[in-house]
Amino acid sequence: MRDTLMACEAAAHDGGFTPGLELALRTVDTAVPPGRVTALPADRVPAGAVVVPHRLAALEGVAFVTSAPAGPEPAHAQGDHRTVFAALLGAVRVGVSRRLLDDAVAHLSGRAAGGEPLIRKQLVLGTVADVITALDAVRQLLCVAHRVPRAVTDAHDRITALDWDTAKLFGASGFLADGPVRGAYVGRLAADCWTDREDVQP
Amino acid sequence: MIPLDTPLRELREQCREAGAELRAHALAVDADPAGTAHLDLPILALVRSASTPKDFRTDSAVDDGGYSDSCLSRVVAGVELARGDAGVLCANTGPSLAGVAVDTLGSPEQRELFYETIADGRAWTFFGMTEPAHGSDATAMESRLDAAGDPADGYLLSGTKRYVGNASRGAIGVVFARTGRTPLSIRGALIRQPAPGFHGEPLDMIGLRGARICRLAMDEVPVPREMLLGAHLPASRRGLWGISRTFNAMRLQIAALALGTALGTRDYVVEQRPNWSGHEVMSARLDAATALLYESAAAVDLQPDAVRPPSTAKLHITDLAVRTSRWAARALGPGALLEHPLLEKWSRDVLAFEFMDGTSNIQRLHITHDLSSRKVRT
Ligand SMILES: Cc1cc2nc3c(=O)[nH]c(=O)nc-3n(C[C@H](O)[C@H](O)[C@H](O)COP(=O)(O)OP(=O)(O)OC[C@H]3O[C@@H](n4cnc5c(N)ncnc54)[C@H](O)[C@@H]3O)c2cc1C
Repeated sequence: MRDTLMACEAAAHDGGFTPGLELALRTVDTAVPPGRVTALPADRVPAGAVVVPHRLAALEGVAFVTSAPAGPEPAHAQGDHRTVFAALLGAVRVGVSRRLLDDAVAHLSGRAAGGEPLIRKQLVLGTVADVITALDAVRQLLCVAHRVPRAVTDAHDRITALDWDTAKLFGASGFLADGPVRGAYVGRLAADCWTDREDVQP
Repeated sequence: MIPLDTPLRELREQCREAGAELRAHALAVDADPAGTAHLDLPILALVRSASTPKDFRTDSAVDDGGYSDSCLSRVVAGVELARGDAGVLCANTGPSLAGVAVDTLGSPEQRELFYETIADGRAWTFFGMTEPAHGSDATAMESRLDAAGDPADGYLLSGTKRYVGNASRGAIGVVFARTGRTPLSIRGALIRQPAPGFHGEPLDMIGLRGARICRLAMDEVPVPREMLLGAHLPASRRGLWGISRTFNAMRLQIAALALGTALGTRDYVVEQRPNWSGHEVMSARLDAATALLYESAAAVDLQPDAVRPPSTAKLHITDLAVRTSRWAARALGPGALLEHPLLEKWSRDVLAFEFMDGTSNIQRLHITHDLSSRKVRT
């Protein structure tokens, strides 16, 4: 499983969220999401499927389609598939997050404040170090706990928080719809379709 | 929480009710930020009027409910209106930040020109500070105000700006640029559109799309002498330094927009899950954030130069608001953001406040400035 997770991460790191999603779906194509909506690469949407319109997802080449809900307590095998697929999606998002961080570091290397490159500011370096570290930890979590629903959900929650920490490093360019943050946001929407929880913490 | 007096409580209630009117336009403005249907909302007309200095209001009889009396009253109102929808509020016409610049740096004639230009209520304004290469460090800006061939003709404004709200459609605004090399030489120029060599173009943004964020190209835009702000003020208060004092109060307004968005998000979850007690901790945090914001605004009313209270409020509340939007998505179950378009829109809008009026790192630097500049004890 580690190799599969790494392959999903690499696909997203190299090509972005959509190629990563494509690979995850090719690996576990029988999983059913817990809610009514799921993410597909736009070119995989079956004829007649109902698509929830979403501007940023469309720009990213992703479509959200609705299906009948599978319910909260799937049969064991289905639940297992679901968790494994959510873990693969987690690996895809780790790839997207690393790509985003690479872009942020490159962006900050070319900007300065008070004559000093932003990438050398200690507050910035602190964030970069924390994100690198936490992404390593999330990757390990997905490897050791890819069949543990709560752990996979926790991994997704942490990725969502880390992506925002990275997005902030871009300044307002991280808020452009055609910028690098879009893929991370669409990845988060996709993850939300695959994570379910009884206990909602603030 | 600092107690609000009766007029402030009434203002809060009126704005909370009016927020519902804004919400009705929220998704339309997000889908088509160029639309103008929302401008006819009575509450937006009232906000335009209330944010215009009393001498320049077209209808001086308008009762703004005390909105313009203090920083605290503007914050109280801002939270409740943004609780309806911050995106529609930001899509409003009116003086906005350019008005603050003109009120702070402008002569009576410049103020008159500015407010006359927007008197019909259909005109947006713009405030151009940020550049592609210089955001947080505005003192490094490169846009120039060069003396025209004949000094009697004033200046020629050249350079590029980014992320300037309404630069494509604003009738009048203020653009900052340098007349020389020192920070004191950064001055504000009053620009009326259309102007030769001045071109604003909307950027496609992730959220808060009603703010109509633009890129701005300026190529030798003529700026007559009388359109340069601050000539009547002492050198230290003429330009960037003069206006930066007002950022304290603006920062609280951005925190108010963030808090309103978070409260609206929480309200939405509570409506969807009426008998669920799982919101209690989040609700308590939001109440505490409201108390923090009110106290910070009251502190700025007492001491307009107080730096720490607005920065702590903005740092804490922008972060809490983003966390609230994630919590809401979790609370409403799998795929919630796609099933609840308002929630999804707010989860994008709420990200904007991080970048407006100083990022979180800049607030951190403000909060610790006096500590970091302290001498080491021997
Ligand atoms: C919705 C919206 C509306 C806006 N409206 C306007 C407008 O009307 N007019 C206008 O002029 N601008 C506007 N802006 C731009 C805004 O003012 C800038 O985005 C902001 O000043 C930050 O600049 P930047 O984006 O270039 O980021 P940068 O300054 O490039 O910052 C990049 C990263 O570096 C960090 N950083 C920067 N300096 C330091 C430091 N010294 N120490 C540690 N970390 C640092 C920042 O925190 C950030 O994480 C708007 C932006 C948004 C998103």
